[in-house]
Amino acid sequence: MKTERALRISHVGLRGIVGRGLEATHILDFSAAFGTFLPPGPVVIGRDPRASGIMIREGVIAALMATGHDVIDLGMVSTPVIQHAIQRANAAGGISIGASHNAVEWNALKFFGARGTYLSTAEAGELLDIYHLRKFRLADHTGLGHCRAEAGEVDRYLDDLAAVFDMAGLRRFRAVVDCCNGTSALVLRRMIERFGLDFILINERVEGVSFAHEPAINAATLGLQLAPLVKPLRADAGFLFDIDSDRVAVASETGDAVSEEAVLPMIADYLLPRGAGKLVITNLSTTALVEEVAALHGGSVVRVPVGRQAAMDALATYRTDQIAVAGEGTGAVMMPQFRFIYDGIASMLAILSLMRERGQRLSEIIASYPAYFVLKGEAPLNPQAVPVMMMELQKQYGDGLVDVRDGLRVAWPDRWFHVRVSQTEPIVRVICEQKGEPAWALFESLMDYARNTTATV
Amino acid sequence: MREHRLKVGVSGIRGVVGEYLTPSLASSYAQAFGTFVGPGRVVLGRDTRSSGEMLQHAVACGLLATGCEVVDVGIQPTPTIQVYVGATRARGGISLTASHNPPEYNALKLFNHQGLFFNHYERRELLDIFYESEFRTATNNEIRRVVHDVETPPRMHIERVVRHVDVERIKTRRFRVALDGVNGAGSELSCHFLEHTLGCDLRAISVDPTKPFPREAEPRPDTLGELQALVRRDQAEIGFGQDPDGDRLAIVDETGEVLDNDEVLALVVDAVLGSLPGDVAVNLTTSSVIDDIAAAHGRKVYRTPVGEANVVEMMQAVKAVIGGEGSNGGIIFPAVQYCRDSYTGMAFVLDLMERTGLPISQLAARMPKYFRKSGKVTFEHGRLGPVMRDLEDAFPQATVDRRDGLKLLLDRGAWIHVRASNTEPLLRYAVEAKDSAQVEDLYRMVRERI
Repeated sequence: MKTERALRISHVGLRGIVGRGLEATHILDFSAAFGTFLPPGPVVIGRDPRASGIMIREGVIAALMATGHDVIDLGMVSTPVIQHAIQRANAAGGISIGASHNAVEWNALKFFGARGTYLSTAEAGELLDIYHLRKFRLADHTGLGHCRAEAGEVDRYLDDLAAVFDMAGLRRFRAVVDCCNGTSALVLRRMIERFGLDFILINERVEGVSFAHEPAINAATLGLQLAPLVKPLRADAGFLFDIDSDRVAVASETGDAVSEEAVLPMIADYLLPRGAGKLVITNLSTTALVEEVAALHGGSVVRVPVGRQAAMDALATYRTDQIAVAGEGTGAVMMPQFRFIYDGIASMLAILSLMRERGQRLSEIIASYPAYFVLKGEAPLNPQAVPVMMMELQKQYGDGLVDVRDGLRVAWPDRWFHVRVSQTEPIVRVICEQKGEPAWALFESLMDYARNTTATV
Repeated sequence: MREHRLKVGVSGIRGVVGEYLTPSLASSYAQAFGTFVGPGRVVLGRDTRSSGEMLQHAVACGLLATGCEVVDVGIQPTPTIQVYVGATRARGGISLTASHNPPEYNALKLFNHQGLFFNHYERRELLDIFYESEFRTATNNEIRRVVHDVETPPRMHIERVVRHVDVERIKTRRFRVALDGVNGAGSELSCHFLEHTLGCDLRAISVDPTKPFPREAEPRPDTLGELQALVRRDQAEIGFGQDPDGDRLAIVDETGEVLDNDEVLALVVDAVLGSLPGDVAVNLTTSSVIDDIAAAHGRKVYRTPVGEANVVEMMQAVKAVIGGEGSNGGIIFPAVQYCRDSYTGMAFVLDLMERTGLPISQLAARMPKYFRKSGKVTFEHGRLGPVMRDLEDAFPQATVDRRDGLKLLLDRGAWIHVRASNTEPLLRYAVEAKDSAQVEDLYRMVRERI
């Protein structure tokens, strides 16, 4: 019997193992806090296939209705579909029920404001304050909201995508897609029907008690089932989505995993020449390749702390037309054309469009970029010891360009590292990148710092 | 004095929706219920109150969180839900209804696997689980689904009711019937039942479940003015008035007068005892007319504290054939289901009118005549005791029954009953006697002591 318990309440929202930490009462209270936080107006909701979403959906609807909001229930849909629907319905906000890349026993609530955007740091903080105070604005029996189901949002979402990408032009590509039993399957199946795309779907069955494999978005999960299929099926690319399809991992036509760090640079490469925006917004942990690609198109990179909120805070300080693309090195990318929402399917279409425009195979595009080697590690968190570790690291590596906005990032020409405390898990993350070859010595030294700090207490 | 806008207790949970009866509280109570009945099917339905939709989601959330499967039957009368729970072998059921309470209230009515109100043992266990918050919590793979079944419950209910009356003859008679559905959970079912099942010429008002209650929810002589007017205008032979969840029934006779609820119960008891063996169980506040009728049929009457669950428990214990709560318009006929059921009442009364060929006013007039008077005052803790002692001293010759407040039995079927309400902060009192002067006397004596 598994006895792991988990509940995480943070600026990112509410997340945990259902029935072992994340309980109905958290769902009701957090949703009531969100209903209190939002201005009046309808709220759009949807869920991923996890069975626990059936329970959570009921609690979310009850709390939103109790705080006077009408609820527009999209049923089982991917997170980007919810975000598009919020904009279209001119809704006050939205909630996506789903734990994207977490294992099946997890679930979570993601909150969106008007126009489907993520909450800023200040907004997320206010939501947390309301939750902790538990002073909810509950309507009396004359002011309660109602719930209605809305079908067809997937088609309207596809209309939005088709307005930006030339779907007919992408028919030439064969892609193998690992849906990992997530909501991307529903969207992609409809895309195939509507646009005649040559997508071969695996793990398409959508049911909520088990996933074909861990829904993480990285080279290891790509290699499990998808990558080995690409070459035998003579596909031009392979794509892997997490459960709510806000992120994508990519395999080339050779069956090799493309580094998740390459997704943002490729999309920047496609979008930078197409619009007025010349800025790429990304976080401190993302590959330096993005700077090289931006420079090719006369663009530049704005780096912000890790996390959705920091990206949203940065986006808020620019005009939309100044920005070409924003994203992370994790395969999560957002585009101004879609009002900055992380969308793995839009990312896939952008990569296929780049292939079409260049007339190059995916492996050729990757090979055309300078080689960067990234090393990632983690160590258990000991919060008390972190400040000392950071000070020592800063003393040891003070000769580089130091950035302390999110842990410690130090950069030298063609080499950088970033050591920070995760927002979502009790770990210290270590990431280090070098052009030309992996910086093993630096990485091992950093990992020693991270591990020793853990061991000292 | 604290306003009783929320009451969590052995009779369930009831309160003003919003600041008091919150979705969180409803969900927690449902979790306690789900923990108690165990992981299996639980039937969930509601009346037409505006808060019902919201609370239904909250309760479904709580039930699912404990690993129950939710069978959503939508808007249904309470007796319909009870029949369905019992017939489908569900683990239990929940009806979201505050019955006759005002629209700002709502409540959870809880049923066991037989579709019966929780008895006092079950209620106590449930309450312990609720207070301790020791809920069963299902993990992802244990969480079950919500299924919808709005068609089966009313069909099952009506099938059971019509087994006990002569439908074909009632149909042939084509009664002109008026109905006031209070825009409640029974609105659609009642129209279908009277018009199609029993072939009546139906004149209905307030049968739109999407609209708010047009009158005070409790069907009483002072709330049924529109129904009375309808009966007179359309020259209906009878008028039926329901409460929002379809368990209570009030009757207007062909002259437009509202019959006393005890008289309605008496009519049905008389009809049932005339054709079936068995005894009778009623609550302590029900009229002595029931004793007279039972005596005429050579049967016994068992008395219980007020409350449907109490009457049902007694009926099961003594295998009573019929029972009810006269004072609040409830007829309980176990062959349909151990619950108050306005549909059974309507069918029996129409059947009786068809068999006798008599108008309802004359049928009522055939019953032994008693006069009743009742009242209520705002309850204050510690007030009932002195009132009881005073009254007992004032009637030293009376037979005393202390099972629910104080009931004093006097000569010739006369009685006095004072008690605390189970659901509201009220002290209720009632008196009954064979002549109206004595009733006035008794009433005055009680008033003086309260």
